[in-house]
Amino acid sequence: MPFLDGAVRPGLAKMALFVVLALGAVLLPPRYALAFEYELKPVAVAERTWVVEGRREELSEDNGGDIANAAFIATGDGVIVIDTGSTLNYGRALRAAIATVTDQPVRWIINTHHHPDHVFGNQAFEGAEISALPATRAALKRDADSFRATLYQRLGDAVRGTETVLPTRSVQQGEGRFGAYPLQLFAFSGHSGADLVVLDPATGVLFTGDLVFHRRAPTTPHSPGIGIWREQLGQLRALQFKTLVPGHGPVSRDGSPIEETLDYLDWLDGRLAGGAARGATRNEVIQAPLPERFAGMALVRYELTRSVSHFYADYEEALLWAEPDTTK
Amino acid sequence: MAGYLRPLLAVLMLFCASPGITAEAQKDPLDSFMWERYRERFLGDTPVRFDQRVRVQAPAFAEDSGQVPIDVDASAFNGRFQRMLLWVELNPIPLVFDYRPLSDGLANLSINVRLEQSSAVRVAVLSDGVWHVGGTRIEGEGGGCTTPGIAKTEDNWSRDFGKIMARRFDHEPGSRVRVKLSHPMDSGLIPSTRPFYVEQVAFIRDGEPAATMAWQASVSENPELALTLKGDSDASYRFQARDNNGNEFDHAIP
Repeated sequence: MPFLDGAVRPGLAKMALFVVLALGAVLLPPRYALAFEYELKPVAVAERTWVVEGRREELSEDNGGDIANAAFIATGDGVIVIDTGSTLNYGRALRAAIATVTDQPVRWIINTHHHPDHVFGNQAFEGAEISALPATRAALKRDADSFRATLYQRLGDAVRGTETVLPTRSVQQGEGRFGAYPLQLFAFSGHSGADLVVLDPATGVLFTGDLVFHRRAPTTPHSPGIGIWREQLGQLRALQFKTLVPGHGPVSRDGSPIEETLDYLDWLDGRLAGGAARGATRNEVIQAPLPERFAGMALVRYELTRSVSHFYADYEEALLWAEPDTTK
Repeated sequence: MAGYLRPLLAVLMLFCASPGITAEAQKDPLDSFMWERYRERFLGDTPVRFDQRVRVQAPAFAEDSGQVPIDVDASAFNGRFQRMLLWVELNPIPLVFDYRPLSDGLANLSINVRLEQSSAVRVAVLSDGVWHVGGTRIEGEGGGCTTPGIAKTEDNWSRDFGKIMARRFDHEPGSRVRVKLSHPMDSGLIPSTRPFYVEQVAFIRDGEPAATMAWQASVSENPELALTLKGDSDASYRFQARDNNGNEFDHAIP
């Protein structure tokens, strides 16, 4: 091949390299060539209030971690963002989506709790004040590294550049002011150990965080116990609201997502208690048929598998091993 | 292997395969590259058959890799098997147990194991001179919120050390015994800890071993075992165990 004999002219080599790179960019699947692209669409749910609904799925490379709901309120004096998603790029996409419906800058962020699908977009909102319960900040500080390891494992390239940005302002139960805009804050713990619920008294929108799931099975990794969670859902029931924004799943105009979450937790409690009392193995508890009424709920078997790992030993402690043993 | 390579390989194999290749061994249904090595190490020259009657059940993924429950149901072999082995192919200590059912043991059990990473899990049942093999796969990564706080190891194990809890339930065709033993089950693979684990467990009836198991340190911390025994509620059993430091444990089963 005379073309390659002797010294190749530098110009030709450069051109060849360019052609190879260009072909690569065209032929490789887009996710190898570009950052993960989120398609976020804010839906107006009340006056000056929008929700960006996440997919009812578990973290995966296909969804880039877009699995939780984010919401925002354009107060007139700036935007309050409630939860920021799983990655830096999700946060950036959320910021861009907000800019399509309001010119106001994002000045405040609220992290309802410390789970990775709700906080790792914080980094995209430089300069914004980040509010959370003190225990949320502490838990995020404790778990951030292992969360990020899990995210890299599950989402791959979509997590690139994502850093932990901790909350900057501690809030507690009662009225919280964001500039001049007042929100009612409620401190619960049932889902993650520290769960902030936000009520906008002006619009009647209740942002429940992951204390409430809708058409998606509740997750339980840091729950202090199903009983505590159920009790707190009972308190949520008593609140006056017009619109409910759950942590996962579609927005509702009534309290049905609260009832659905309660129903699931009741069932989960019964399933674990019944299994432990009759000496069932963990696999038997996981594999037994699911109630038909959960057919429209995403990820029930998946979350049941996880919840058995989180809770079953406690149920066995109380219902299997605690039986009086008179034979020793 | 990337998904698109598989069809390509299949086509290549069509061209390359000689008639002789297909004959001898059955193809490993789990397609694990460690299968041949462990077949050789654990099963030796004895004939091997992949057999759906050896049913192995586990969660599809390990939420807590320190406590992964494995259920085995090979009750088709009840009364006519001599040994059962369980191993996790990509664990640093692959073998979990070597079970000898003796007079009373049945082929129906559950045990919690450690899982180092995604792996094939294999059960082999020796019956009439043939190893019948079943298995499943478990993904090693936990769920999105898995933290070390959940996969906890107890620091103050010495407080409950040696404590045994046992229950018994009717379970066709005999009874299911549930046992939980407080023991650290240290593998010795973590720097500055020495191997310290239960090596031998036995169910004793009328003073004689009625079923025994040899354990390795791939059994989880504070081991939990469910085992179906032939005897009904009239039969009286004791659970006995011994660790590699010579500690002995003994408890009546209610």
